[in-house]
Amino acid sequence: MASPESAFDLAQLCELADVTPRTVRYYIQQGLLPSPGTRGPMARYDQSHVDRIRLIKRLQREHLPLAEIRQQLEALDGAGVQRALDAPPKPQSAALAYLRSVLPLPLPEATRAITARSAEPTRGAHGDQQAPGSAAHTPIIPHRSQWDRIPLAPDVELHIRRPLSREQNRLVDRLIEAARQIFQEIKP
Amino acid sequence: MSLTVRTDRALVRAATRSTRYLWIELVAPEAPRRQDRAPVNVALVLDRSGSMAGARKFPLARQAAEHALKLLHSDDRFSLVVYDDRIDILAESQPATPDAIHAALSALELIGPREATDLCAGWLRGCEQIARYLDDRAIGRCLLLTDGLANRGTTDHATIVQHGAELRARGVATSTFGVGADFDEALLRDMAVEGGGNNYFIEQPEQITDFLTSELGEALETVMRGVQVSIALPHGARAMCLNRYRSRYVENDRVFQVELGDLVSSQVLSIVAGIEFDSGEAGLDTMATVSVHTSDGAAFGSEHNIRWHYDTHAANETQPRDLEVDIQVATLYAARARAEATEHNRRGDYESARSILQRTAAKIRSYAGNDPRLLAIATSLEGDVPEFAMAMSVLSHKRHFHEALHLTRSRGPGGAAVRREK
Repeated sequence: MASPESAFDLAQLCELADVTPRTVRYYIQQGLLPSPGTRGPMARYDQSHVDRIRLIKRLQREHLPLAEIRQQLEALDGAGVQRALDAPPKPQSAALAYLRSVLPLPLPEATRAITARSAEPTRGAHGDQQAPGSAAHTPIIPHRSQWDRIPLAPDVELHIRRPLSREQNRLVDRLIEAARQIFQEIKP
Repeated sequence: MSLTVRTDRALVRAATRSTRYLWIELVAPEAPRRQDRAPVNVALVLDRSGSMAGARKFPLARQAAEHALKLLHSDDRFSLVVYDDRIDILAESQPATPDAIHAALSALELIGPREATDLCAGWLRGCEQIARYLDDRAIGRCLLLTDGLANRGTTDHATIVQHGAELRARGVATSTFGVGADFDEALLRDMAVEGGGNNYFIEQPEQITDFLTSELGEALETVMRGVQVSIALPHGARAMCLNRYRSRYVENDRVFQVELGDLVSSQVLSIVAGIEFDSGEAGLDTMATVSVHTSDGAAFGSEHNIRWHYDTHAANETQPRDLEVDIQVATLYAARARAEATEHNRRGDYESARSILQRTAAKIRSYAGNDPRLLAIATSLEGDVPEFAMAMSVLSHKRHFHEALHLTRSRGPGGAAVRREK
């Protein structure tokens, strides 16, 4: 948890790291950033969050998958993150540069490393989960759906395909709330 | 490694143009112990379009993926991509640990055949996975398995093949596997030839495992990367390669280069180049120099100089011939004739199919003399005439197409590398 003297709120963190609040929440959900401990407006962040976000963005630019970014970050303490940021960026392979020129954008995170559940063979059961800040469409895969993945408890997630109607959103909110309460009740 | 270079005849005509053939046989060195091999960075790209549901093709492809991935060590990297009109990367490029392979195969277990075929995008996404972790040491190879046509996304033959050539130049080779009767063999061939890999026809889905594991096994035994044969030509001479390899002129057309790609342990390649000489002064010699290099510029073995002597028409007509070279030349011309006859037959032009086989057989007989091996090549072509002079099944087209392709690429009947016996 951040010490009071070096703490930022979410808006300040976003400004310093040049990301949106949604991206910060996504990184925390994905285990890329440590949780601030407290939820809501009282949540506080520090310089280590800023550094980690900068490193995540840089590794994303090098086309590293999230799982690998998470793995790298887990192995780094604050000094390690700083050293990684100071290191010169890796040169992009010529093959990757070529593919970047002919493939419009990297696939959204969901179609990479697709989960077993979302890889069902039937149309409409796609697990497309859109990483914040990444492109919603690539020209070679038209009509992409956007899926949100909402963690309910360790190892348990809810997948929602957006957009939903207002009524459906309301029901989903109730579902999330109820599910979280249930998991709270059965916590050891 | 050994390199042998021979010509069919030592004299060329002084008064007019002549064509002579160079036979270049190259034997790759034996691979070091398995533990010392270079790591591979492989992407398996599997078609899951609706047609893959037939004849249990997709379940068999899944089984093949399992067998193939289990050949890898944790120093290797793998990725797994499935595509129809949508691309799913089931496993991003990662070290081939048992746990990672198990997780990828579990994801594949839940995949079933679905819709149309965006072959190009699925393949390029597989290449992208390789490219993310490409280093100088690893062998980058994308293995694309399909049973259908590219009918979504980029479908233009030339564009797709050009991507293959560009990626090959950047260290990502492509090998292609066509299953059944409905894939586009010309596209898959050209993707592999330009892409620096190999092309296979899998007639029965039950063979998918054998072909996939064989190709991956070859990648694991790669001993020479990006091999090129260079022929420094005499002044004014032109060359052509009878094999189906990429070739080009460099150094102001003075050097003719044939790109052979990666070679596997003890692989034997037989290349024939026809060289057309200008007329010259009787009594003088002319010379070509043959050398072999890998993609990093390292030379293998010493250069071979082959000399020809300009002489009279009469001397040329009575000169001895190197029968072994003649047999290599005849074998390749016969394969090219069958490939051409297959295309004529496919278009319903049976007369042209018959004609090319008969003309080639007659040409071989013209220099065969009494040699039983050359006569057998001519007789075999003539024996094929009835089959090519009437409608063939689609599978027969594919069978003949690939037999000819493998022969012109110095590969065995099924497409596997030919190796020198120990």
